[in-house]
Amino acid sequence: MLQRIFHIAKRDLTLEFRERYSFLSALLYLVAITFIVYKVFGRIEQPTRIGLFWILILFTCINVVSHSFSFHSQKRKYYHYILYRSYELIIAKWGINLIKMIVAGLILAFLQSIFANEPLKNILLFSQVYVLSIIGMTAAMTLISSISSYSQNQNTLIAVMSIPLLIPILLIGMRLSLISERIIMDTEINNYLMMLVGIDIIYVAILIIFIPLTWKA
Amino acid sequence: MDIKRNWWKVLSVILMLYVIIAGILIPIKPGIIDYDNASAETGSPYEVTVKTYNTHFDKAQGLRTYLLLPNNELLVADSSEVINAAEVKASFNIPRRVLRGESESMDLSLVIDNEIDGYMQFPEAVRIRPSTTDTFNRAYQASALMPLSSLRDVDDFKFPFRPIVYETIRNTFFHVAIWMAMFIILIVSCYHSIRYLMTNKLVHDQKSSALTSVALVFGIAGLLTGSMWARFTWGTWWTNDVKLNMTSIALLIYCSYWILRSSISDIDTRARLSSVFNLFSFVALFILVMVIPRLTDSLHPGNGGNPAFGDEDLDNTLRTIFYPAIIAYTLIGLWIAQLTVRYHSAKDNIELLIYNKSN
Repeated sequence: MLQRIFHIAKRDLTLEFRERYSFLSALLYLVAITFIVYKVFGRIEQPTRIGLFWILILFTCINVVSHSFSFHSQKRKYYHYILYRSYELIIAKWGINLIKMIVAGLILAFLQSIFANEPLKNILLFSQVYVLSIIGMTAAMTLISSISSYSQNQNTLIAVMSIPLLIPILLIGMRLSLISERIIMDTEINNYLMMLVGIDIIYVAILIIFIPLTWKA
Repeated sequence: MDIKRNWWKVLSVILMLYVIIAGILIPIKPGIIDYDNASAETGSPYEVTVKTYNTHFDKAQGLRTYLLLPNNELLVADSSEVINAAEVKASFNIPRRVLRGESESMDLSLVIDNEIDGYMQFPEAVRIRPSTTDTFNRAYQASALMPLSSLRDVDDFKFPFRPIVYETIRNTFFHVAIWMAMFIILIVSCYHSIRYLMTNKLVHDQKSSALTSVALVFGIAGLLTGSMWARFTWGTWWTNDVKLNMTSIALLIYCSYWILRSSISDIDTRARLSSVFNLFSFVALFILVMVIPRLTDSLHPGNGGNPAFGDEDLDNTLRTIFYPAIIAYTLIGLWIAQLTVRYHSAKDNIELLIYNKSN
């Protein structure tokens, strides 16, 4: 099973590399907005920087993940349906989205450190929080994009449906990253991390349970 | 109408009437709203005018005012002068040796009782400080002491009196009960979604969507009643409380459920996808409303160190109406959902008839 997943992921990555415009345009969007914001405001306070980071990540996530089903033609969908088990395909897709979002997060954190002229204070905690929250976010977004790929106005629907669902993750992630930047003090870091892990497990489980049902349609 | 099969509809109407009539007409217990003097010294007289609520001082005979001492004895006021039905002026002579240590001060509760209203108290109302004057007056006579058991209690069916909340305690039967009913209805809706995914029968999808819309209406009603309650207890229509924000987000999720349903035209696809999204959004609602508010400070009971709905908040008189209220709202919600399903299936049948006739 793992081999098959790797195989699908490798093939999707090659396809992605050939049609790299979607991911690159998402990255360009990220870089351009960061640049504009820093040029317009000059200096940005630490809490605003963290908020900006998460909002940009949210919109990049919507941009990146919504493409994961959109370029599939009906024929290719049918072909995949015959060839693979749905959960294998979805785990591969989710993994690719995860890798893309980690790359996007690295680029954004790097850019912000350069523009703000100030590195992250606790890189270990921050990256832990980032990876944990991005796991849940991409899982939820993958499910939402597979649900909304059947409707006509896909992009609007993805934004409308996913943003409320991502708010718990965003809130905990934002609080934890504020703690990691030493803006607020909190001794319950482990509790928050466990919460994030719990939400991740729930979202990933929902993704794997429900994807065969949405896929069949 | 077949009463035997529709007994639950009759039950829902009876319970609803019971909740509205009993919930609004039963008075709340008498209690102390305000008093004008909050500090006293040992060995000197202390006068206080107390304003109360729902009391019958003018009709009562043996009105007495007390201060509750730390050793559970009552210091009886020398005179309790009734001003009107809800106001009394009491004067005490505080004894010289209330305090154990000389420099400490302590807070005593103010207690009033009579034979009509029973007893009422204002906890930690009066601060007693050690005397600053050294004059020793032999003629000074301290007020008498009484044991705690001599308080007169009246056994009647009334809602508890709580400071700040006062009469709005009745909103428990509306605000809180509507939320509970909404959760029960959403659970039933999720059950039907699961049934649809297992059996692929469209009836379950219709039921699930009807129940979800009822739950959405209940959610909005809960938000409105909560907003009114917030106006009277916390002072604003909307606070930045976590639970409020999370709830409005949860309602947004259910609105997006309706957008999803209306954006897909194929019936089977719509049914399957919206069932999946319904289950997903219930999980998200659970996380938003039950888990996240417990992390941060909230004004609601049960969150951020506030006491939950335990014995303190919900006493037995409230329970006798609160639980029937939950049942009544749930049954009425189910009834509305049933009517919605029937309306839609009738509409579909009529459309089918017209379609058959035209062909």
